Amino acid sequence: MNTAVEIHHLVKDFRTPMTRKPFRAVDDISLTIKTGEVYGLIGPNGSGKSTVMKALLGLVRPTSGSCQIFGNDSLRVDSRHEVGFLPENPYFYKHLSGEETLRFYGKLCGMRGKKLQTRIDELLELVSLDKARKRRLGGYSKGMLQRIGLAQALIQKPQLVILDEPTAGVDPIGSRQIRDLIFELRDQGITVFLCSHLLEQVQEVCDQVGIIFEGKMIKEGSLEELISVENQTEIILQDASPELIAQIEALASSEAQVIRSGKPRTTLERLFLTATQSNSSQPPS
Amino acid sequence: MSRLFSFHRMMVISSSTFTQLVRMKVFYFLVVFVLAILVAHFFKLPHTSGPESSAHEELRMLKNATIGAMSLFATIFAITGTALLIPKDIEDRTLYSILSKPVPRLDYLAGKLLGIISVIFVAMFAMDLVMTGALELRSNKVMNEVLTSAAQQGYDAEATEAARQEVLRHGSTWSLQAGVLALFLKTVILASLALFFSTFSTSTLFTVIMSFVVFFIGHIVGDIREYLELMNNGETSIGSSLTKAVGIIIPDFALFNVTDEAIAGKTIPLSAALRLTLIAVVYAALYTVISWFIFADKEF
Ligand SMILES: Nc1ncnc2c1ncn2[C@@H]1O[C@H](COP(=O)(O)OP(=O)(O)OP(=O)(O)O)[C@@H](O)[C@H]1O
Ligand SMILES: [Mg+2]
Repeated sequence: MNTAVEIHHLVKDFRTPMTRKPFRAVDDISLTIKTGEVYGLIGPNGSGKSTVMKALLGLVRPTSGSCQIFGNDSLRVDSRHEVGFLPENPYFYKHLSGEETLRFYGKLCGMRGKKLQTRIDELLELVSLDKARKRRLGGYSKGMLQRIGLAQALIQKPQLVILDEPTAGVDPIGSRQIRDLIFELRDQGITVFLCSHLLEQVQEVCDQVGIIFEGKMIKEGSLEELISVENQTEIILQDASPELIAQIEALASSEAQVIRSGKPRTTLERLFLTATQSNSSQPPS
Repeated sequence: MSRLFSFHRMMVISSSTFTQLVRMKVFYFLVVFVLAILVAHFFKLPHTSGPESSAHEELRMLKNATIGAMSLFATIFAITGTALLIPKDIEDRTLYSILSKPVPRLDYLAGKLLGIISVIFVAMFAMDLVMTGALELRSNKVMNEVLTSAAQQGYDAEATEAARQEVLRHGSTWSLQAGVLALFLKTVILASLALFFSTFSTSTLFTVIMSFVVFFIGHIVGDIREYLELMNNGETSIGSSLTKAVGIIIPDFALFNVTDEAIAGKTIPLSAALRLTLIAVVYAALYTVISWFIFADKEF
């Protein structure tokens, strides 16, 4: 199977009690995520990122369009065998301990016995909650809940992991760990679909990026394409002597303008700002 | 291919619900219950006049009080417990992570319901044990008193035997157990009814009120039907077919009043107990399936 996620012209309207006109949270979004890719969805608050993810998990029903996971329609329960989901601001049964929580979700995935216990130990280690395993979730901090949520998403070793703001509320060390974890998942060939407001992180881990604004996809493509600056060229030299660089610069300045030597790249952050601002300055359609 | 319904997954949900409720300390009620029984046990009616007058009245009172307490616990718990559970999962967003696992929504609903019902079952079973024990002790005592007083008053063998049977009838009998079973079955229907309301209501309060309303109507639905049949002399009118329809959707809770008969010392045949079980299972299944239809289309 080549594509992990296929979202086809997804539209989602929410009926709001006060107004008669439904509110369009997702407006004709299509995206494809290939197996093994890390896809980052970014966009301002309320732009519909979480709604796209929920539609992909069958938690909301598309108004039109469709979502597929490994070729299975999202509205079918079968599509969820190979998915792990970390909801935004996750919250679990607070009467269960960390270990019991993982056991519960593992059992829901049909795991049991020694295999499940091994996996639980592994994951508690991975998200650094080994010491808190016996404590009830009622006493967990926000970042700890986020970590247990991440562990819960990975319990059955899913082929697709959907993370809604995985690093929200996690301390800098934890958020580096999560980044490393995503790298690890990618190395194992696992597809990751995430959304985040931490753009440096998205830039660091994602292969593909989509920017969504007011429910519409306004930019999409591989990270390389998106952030490379078209009319500039970068020459990377190794062991170049200062004389050689001076020569090249002299040569170049006769033909073209040397802006600076270094990394001629925009950042995803700058791209995000220009993209969303140019859109919001347009009159609303 | 995953099946539409898996027993294993339903058990996972129901045992987690059971743990949840236990950790919400619902069983503390049992401590209060045992204390109440102890108090009732030492409470004694003044009966010295004769063997048949008020001897078994004591036993009847004991039964009445304990089954009353059971009924109170079970009714309130079945309605409010069920009404709280699913809205809580939605509000806390725990449902996101559950339904994003391969869990069909029917498994989730049935599991929740089963979890609540098993808590009620365990609680009622424990209360029943305590009641049976207390009743056993008490009826032995009453029996002694009755037999002594019968001997004093010079009853013949036949009259003594009759008095003995009378006390036995009010002791712990299988019919009394059937009465407790009927009470349990009633709460099973009630819990599934609350489940049904909670799948579409937007507030817990609405669910609780609606469940109580239907519970109340369910107790008089039989009377209404009888009354209307009398009025119409058996003719079918819109009114009577309407009440028939309502009578099918709303269970006739009065059928389960055999509990009162059991307390009064009447015999309940096995066939009646089986019939009530069947009715309860059918209604619980019916409400669960209707709930599922509503819940299947729900968005979170
Ligand atoms: N159940 C709902 N009912 C009504 N409106 C909703 C519902 N869920 C989401 N919305 C609306 O849809 C829009 C998109 O919401 P969504 O949660 O997808 O945003 P988001 O991109 O995830 O934002 P954030 O970055 O804050 O998490 C918002 O305007 C929100 O108000
Ligand atoms: Mg969101």
